[in-house]
Amino acid sequence: MSQSAEPPLTDRTLAVPAQGQMAARAGEPRNYVGIVRAAVLVILAAVALTTPGFLSQPSILSLLTTVSFIGCVAVGMTLITISGNIMSFALGALVGATAMVFVLAANWGGFAFGLVAGLAFAAATNALQGFLIGWLRANPIIVSIAALALIYGVAEAFAAHGTIYAAAGTSYAGFKGKVAGIPVEFVVFLCVAAVAQFLLSLTTFGRNLFLVGSSFRAAEAIGVRTWRAITGAYLWAGLFTAPAGIMLAIRYDAASMNYGLGYEYDAIAAVLVGGTVIKGGEGSVLRTLAGAIVIGVIQVVLVLQGLRTEWQYLIAGLIVLGVIALQTPGTRD
Amino acid sequence: MDILTVEGLSKSFGAVRALRDVSLSLRAGEIRAICGENGAGKSTLVKSLMGIFTPDAGSIAIDGVHHTMRSPQQAQALGLGLVAQELSLAPRLSVLDNIWLGSADVPLFHRRRDLRRRARAALEILGAGEWDLDAPVSALSIGQQQLVEVARLLARDARILILDEPTATLTDTEIARILDVLKALRARGHAILYISHRLSEVFDLCDTVTVLRNGEHVATRQVPDITREQLIELMLGRPFGDMYPAAAAGPDTGDALVVEGLNVAGSVQDLSLVAPRGKILCIAGQIGSGANVVTRALAGLVPGATGRVSVGDKPLRLGSVPHCVARDLLFLSEDRAAEGIFHQRSALENLLAANFSAHTHMGILDWPKLKRIGARLAQRVAIDPRRLAAAAGKLSGGNQQKLLFGRAIERPQPGVLLMNEPTRGIDVGARADIYRIMRELCAHGYALIMTSSDLEEVVGVADIVITMYRGRTVARYERHSIAMARILADITHPVQAAA
Repeated sequence: MSQSAEPPLTDRTLAVPAQGQMAARAGEPRNYVGIVRAAVLVILAAVALTTPGFLSQPSILSLLTTVSFIGCVAVGMTLITISGNIMSFALGALVGATAMVFVLAANWGGFAFGLVAGLAFAAATNALQGFLIGWLRANPIIVSIAALALIYGVAEAFAAHGTIYAAAGTSYAGFKGKVAGIPVEFVVFLCVAAVAQFLLSLTTFGRNLFLVGSSFRAAEAIGVRTWRAITGAYLWAGLFTAPAGIMLAIRYDAASMNYGLGYEYDAIAAVLVGGTVIKGGEGSVLRTLAGAIVIGVIQVVLVLQGLRTEWQYLIAGLIVLGVIALQTPGTRD
Repeated sequence: MDILTVEGLSKSFGAVRALRDVSLSLRAGEIRAICGENGAGKSTLVKSLMGIFTPDAGSIAIDGVHHTMRSPQQAQALGLGLVAQELSLAPRLSVLDNIWLGSADVPLFHRRRDLRRRARAALEILGAGEWDLDAPVSALSIGQQQLVEVARLLARDARILILDEPTATLTDTEIARILDVLKALRARGHAILYISHRLSEVFDLCDTVTVLRNGEHVATRQVPDITREQLIELMLGRPFGDMYPAAAAGPDTGDALVVEGLNVAGSVQDLSLVAPRGKILCIAGQIGSGANVVTRALAGLVPGATGRVSVGDKPLRLGSVPHCVARDLLFLSEDRAAEGIFHQRSALENLLAANFSAHTHMGILDWPKLKRIGARLAQRVAIDPRRLAAAAGKLSGGNQQKLLFGRAIERPQPGVLLMNEPTRGIDVGARADIYRIMRELCAHGYALIMTSSDLEEVVGVADIVITMYRGRTVARYERHSIAMARILADITHPVQAAA
């Protein structure tokens, strides 16, 4: 017996062995994940820097715009992931549809009206999905797939030839170009990211979003209006995604459902590469920003290496699988 | 000869030594209690025996033959069997399927007569020979499911049974049955390692008791040679003070909550109660009595609940948690993991979770103020402020429960705290802290309503006891008329059920 020599028990001493176990169990895979991450980044940087033309001005500008389009969608996706609803497969379609709504509305009522209409359309479409998921507890994946089909179906009806062009005489020239050498798209994306990070870190809405994502039932039990948090997450996700569609329309003076093709997938890859956990309750816009840059670099390198778009899908698929494989041992418990 | 001999078992996780040089031996026909607070090393010991962890040092011998446990399958083959804290049954499968689930003996085409016979024989040992082997396990009560777990081990010829808190979720009658079964198994020559936080079971059931603390073996005693207080002191490593702080004889400050005719289809019928401020009201009842549904309904968590409820003379609308929280009715679930804690979020956020909106300027959080409040709350619920940044899921059960209590403190005005099983799965030390916090809340004018299936706790902590049987109130007792025997009779026998 040795209890006389023991220090008085406090919560700390009581809790220590249990935590030790957790740390030891969780620690090994985490370190391993860290090493893999670092290795992948080093390889990616090496490949990028040795790719001829990567450091040229056109390629850097192309990188920044690519990152901006993917990034806007990925920031929206981040909110959905944090809310505990995994992913939305409808955000790519939303990009295309928002572009069309913008061009149609701008043709009819001018640029500002187009802008408002585009944002409102994206917010409403997504908020409706969020409401179904938050209020009726519908399965988020199924809802997003249904929304995807609906958006494509409706868009088909509106644009028989697939593409809507800006009315003759209108030009968005004033909104193309650069601000202090930086593409406008990237400036817009940084604003989107800043607003999103502000929402997440500094508002009650953001806190409730993390709580709902971490444990829906626990959030209910303390009186969080869970449906509001989830609907809000989708609504903001729509608002953050919309600029990608509007900016694409401005860029090409036209809109087509093809514009958004594959964006949801790149966004999912960016969120996961950034390290936001699929099961929700954790994550940040800064991580997604880093993820979007990685995905952007890969895409630019693929283009510079002369690989076709199919390869981009293949690589994105591999990245998602890889990240999920890496994430799983750390989070499964 | 000893059936199980453990010598010098050690296991570290990183820098933490979870088990240090632990030795013990067990005879056939012996029930050994393993006692200790959370983190004492009980689960590490069990998992090392079962081949789930590989110990760093030490030896395990069965019938005097040394073995290196490499896998649970090997431990099973050597006659060791574990009933874990959480049930590990497949609810939709039959009793028979569950008994043989995962067994290496089962051939591909497995509805064989021999397996039925052996399953039946195992159930007969447990006094459950009449059960339908083909009924789904989900049709059984939790206590009966626990017996299926034991039958599973017996069917595999386990001679050394390890039970890790088998009674944590059971009612008193179900516990009594399990204890009877274990005594019968002892008479048949099985050796049993029994892990439980409930000391009454140790004294009721066990022959010997081994106390672990901080991973070390503290003492092994014959149960008849030790008193309850001595055992608690061995577990705590310090003198045992008063577990249940005395109720302050404060002035009567009125009723916080008046409930008339509460009804929940299928669980609560026409229940009325009055919860005075500064008092702990305990609703005692077995699982299925509806006691824990009453608290859930009052918290707004039961959609179909009806009844006239008023909080401080204002009527309360049932069925909306946000509304109930706005009226300062706060709920603490018995299911801390699923309905209480936000595992990935920090301890600080967990403490503040219910009160974020109270500390905002136009929707923007006042983080400096929130951090100050968090630090103060941590101090009041006895959590080390340095742990506030840690993810709540990594804290011990006791600390997690304190976080939940922290949410209820420093409300704009004292409210009503609705608690289901507030000390379930919590060690003796944290338990004492929680009773102290409860009394402090009383002193601040809160009304506390709790349910508990631990009768000793009910008698120790309650100022008012309401007993329930099958959804109805049986009787109401005040401080001096609270007696364990009467409560037990009320909640187990329907005789008086029309009070």
